[in-house]
Amino acid sequence: MNTILSLGAILLFPSGLFLLFNGIVYEWIDKKILARQQNRMGPRWFQPLADVTKLMVKEEIVPAGVNATLFNLLPIFALAGPLTAALYMPVGGIRPLLSFKGDLIVTVYLLSVLTIATGLAGANTASRFSLLGATRTLTQLFSYEAPFMLALLGPAIAAGSWQIAEINDYAGNHLLLLREPIGFVIAIIGLAGKLELPPFDAPEAETEIVAGAMTEYGGRGLALFHLGRSAELVLGLTLIASFYLGGVASPLAYLLKTLALLLGLAGFQALMTRLRIDQTVGLWWRYGSLIVLVQWLALFVLDMSRGGGIFS
Amino acid sequence: MSVQLDKPWQRILDEVATWARKNSPWAIHYNSGSCNGCDIEILAALTPRYDVERLGVTLHGSPRHADVLICTGPVTRQSADRLRRIYEQMPEPKFVVAVGSCALTGGVFHDGYNCLGGIEKVIPVDVFVPGCPPRPEAIIDGVVKLLQKVDPDRTPARAGSEIVSEKEDTHGSYDRNPATD
Repeated sequence: MNTILSLGAILLFPSGLFLLFNGIVYEWIDKKILARQQNRMGPRWFQPLADVTKLMVKEEIVPAGVNATLFNLLPIFALAGPLTAALYMPVGGIRPLLSFKGDLIVTVYLLSVLTIATGLAGANTASRFSLLGATRTLTQLFSYEAPFMLALLGPAIAAGSWQIAEINDYAGNHLLLLREPIGFVIAIIGLAGKLELPPFDAPEAETEIVAGAMTEYGGRGLALFHLGRSAELVLGLTLIASFYLGGVASPLAYLLKTLALLLGLAGFQALMTRLRIDQTVGLWWRYGSLIVLVQWLALFVLDMSRGGGIFS
Repeated sequence: MSVQLDKPWQRILDEVATWARKNSPWAIHYNSGSCNGCDIEILAALTPRYDVERLGVTLHGSPRHADVLICTGPVTRQSADRLRRIYEQMPEPKFVVAVGSCALTGGVFHDGYNCLGGIEKVIPVDVFVPGCPPRPEAIIDGVVKLLQKVDPDRTPARAGSEIVSEKEDTHGSYDRNPATD
């Protein structure tokens, strides 16, 4: 691949501008659906764009008592993680640009960079609210990450590959939603946890800890975290759509499937109230991980009874 | 940012920044000694009935995120310091809306031994919304009046441009608008 194409890939198509605008639009759709479910008009179509632009042109304050380098670098890492992950994903229904054996694992880790950056950002500042938010963010990371990963590995095992492109091709012929319904539900709920959407918004509970780890960020840093989260929303939806909803082989399929998932996610947000952090952890470790494992067991037994495909 | 661009480009950037500021005023709410009447009205303005999110207004907890400080009540001696600190924690450009009679002048508390008077005694105020308490429509009208004041020439930009701060007569800014009634 020559230099111009790689630059285009990084700055324009799968990653870069396309992903950011896609994220901004999806964020608006999410807010609008949520507002309509709460019987209000909801924001105008350009609202997230205006929010981000305004934050970008606001004054940058580096509060006293922080490591200024870290304070300025963490938002950049938070955005760079999802943007890099996009290169390995079928964003927009196009085949992933880069692909190697085991890129699923790398992608899942790249998607965690945002959360880790958020946690570090909170721990870096002297404010007690951000510290509490950081603790909760990282606690929550440890609770949803394992079930989310297990839920994504279900299709990987079925496809017999750890490569996102190959799983996507396999899912195009087999509707894994019907074969692994529990994994699908866990993956969707795990995505809500990853994005700190209700009911898993304890890390940024406005009524208790101001804005959680983001309390001391204003201006550009907040905008970058915000963009990182929208990008991650798109990537999470893409991942789940390509694994469970029969693959994203064309732009139309991509649009329809991710929007359907987004509709579900917004409904989920409107329906649920915030869980306490200990309830979140309990939910994931007591039930989430367990039922994914039960599903794995069921898959193995089913497969064995058919003459075994997974381990052979 | 101290990058100075050519005039037309700078102009376009300023226009974009102003558009964004006008369309995304994030608010923070502080009660510096109010009787809670105005606060209830502010909360009523945030409910689905009035739904200020359609104007881009959302309530935020942290002063670092906010653009508009919505103050209620007279400033008591105890809260003056806190009000000033919240104002100073907000990043530029920032605006202040004083809501209710007490926030304007001290109201019924104006002669109190513990009372400094209106919000303007402590921090500069951009828009005054009179009323005891003002209706949610009046508060939304005050925010809209504030947004009309935001334009590139008047925004205190850090890029070295002059801060033009001639004070507009915004007292009694609550005119009923027949179009929205």
